[in-house]
Amino acid sequence: MQSGLAVKAARVAIVVALFAIWEILSRTGIVNPRLLPSASDTLSTLGELLQRASVRKDLTVTATEVVTAFALAVPVGALIGFLIAENRYFAEVAKPLLFFAFSIPKSIFLPMFILVFGVGFSQKVGFGFFSTIFIVIISTTTAVESVKVEHLTVARSYGATPVQTAFRVYLPSMLPVLLEALRISMIFNLTGVILAEMYASRDGIGHQIATWGENFQMKQLLAGVVMIAAIAIAFNELVRWVETRCSHWRT
Amino acid sequence: MSAATLRRLIVISLIALWEILPRAGFIPELFLPSLSSTLAAGWNEAGEYGHALAVTLYEVAISMAFACGGGILLGAIVGSLPRPRILIMPMVSSLYAVPLVILYPVFTVWLGIGSESKIAFASIYGFLPTMLATAAGIQTIDPQLLLAARSMGATLSQRLVRVIIPAAIPTVLSGLRVGGALVIVGVVVSEMLISSAGIGYLISRYRTILDSPHVFAGVLLVLAMAIAFNAAIKWIERKAAIWQTGTRAGQDAAGEVAPAALQPAT
Repeated sequence: MQSGLAVKAARVAIVVALFAIWEILSRTGIVNPRLLPSASDTLSTLGELLQRASVRKDLTVTATEVVTAFALAVPVGALIGFLIAENRYFAEVAKPLLFFAFSIPKSIFLPMFILVFGVGFSQKVGFGFFSTIFIVIISTTTAVESVKVEHLTVARSYGATPVQTAFRVYLPSMLPVLLEALRISMIFNLTGVILAEMYASRDGIGHQIATWGENFQMKQLLAGVVMIAAIAIAFNELVRWVETRCSHWRT
Repeated sequence: MSAATLRRLIVISLIALWEILPRAGFIPELFLPSLSSTLAAGWNEAGEYGHALAVTLYEVAISMAFACGGGILLGAIVGSLPRPRILIMPMVSSLYAVPLVILYPVFTVWLGIGSESKIAFASIYGFLPTMLATAAGIQTIDPQLLLAARSMGATLSQRLVRVIIPAAIPTVLSGLRVGGALVIVGVVVSEMLISSAGIGYLISRYRTILDSPHVFAGVLLVLAMAIAFNAAIKWIERKAAIWQTGTRAGQDAAGEVAPAALQPAT
């Protein structure tokens, strides 16, 4: 426990030190402050940006797109993954294809989504869906395969009903892998939606960041980067925390 | 019908559908131009695409040197020392959650819209997964191998050359594969966003004038690049397989890291 606290303190110290270096580099003029506004300026800009109605609206737009894409991709992907994993023949046919589809870069298909969907809401959701679904499928197959055959045999030989097997064997075995999958697919999803917004869009926070970059508004740009990074890390840590809570189920 | 045959049939019919559906008018040519018109478009502008490919390959090569060199070096250091590992690894993996695309505007402001900003962005894009994979690979070395080497009086350099490096090679290679794929994505994406040369730029330019066959020719070219890179790493992996001295447990752990956590995010 003591060492755990020390490690946490050291991590906080590293983050603080990074911000301090950033502040010093900019304040002393080693780096041109117009290219790298100081950390304190950036953070105060961030506070001011969060007050702005337009930024809030952009955040809402992005959040809606991310959540919609996620809500579509996860059930569909999980269903496909489950069907593939439960059938040996299907798995043998589909797996190499899926791994291939998974390993090719999705972002180069972004222009295709613009040609089909235009630059609106549906294009972002479509691209987010497309960049998320393969990882969901593959993680689900991994999760199903992580259920141990011996556990199933034991459950069956003690006369467990299918519902009992589903809730007492499948779910606890799959949960840690599924949570991990959820976390990683959210990373993919967020990256996909923000990339789509930066590439061609009228609103959304990614579009806003690209605009700040084009206009050399470094303070706003860095504040936006810090904001997105903080949101992504916060979500990631939240799911990881849940993961550790559930890890005593891992077999 | 065996699984492999069915798979081949699926691939062939997908390619056939790509030709037939747009020709028959089920899908507008704007959304999906037929395979033949895509190839024809690419062939007619071969010079332009060749020039763009040269620019992109140059950027990819330099970024790959930065991303993979730096990633493997730092990953090896962090992975082999327990203290920094406990301290830094969780931080690096939460950093991995950040959509790095948002950094690209910062690089364009700092370095302009030429090759430098692409190289900087793609290097950072590919660096993290390579580092994570290498650190994980060093970790999965069976401690018994190290113990055996030490008890037979191997020096540090002997242990490094004879045990650590051969045992880590498979994981490092899988990190290299992911890192390299990400570098290609990073370069192409940054070219698509803001640039004046390269395949990504061509894709974006033809997209703005709604010239789908040329867009798809560019997309095909990038795909070919990614697939060729993948095949090259697979070939090296096979060649290096004789080096593989890690135990099954080690490989299992390595396999656990590789598929999900370290794949190219978009």
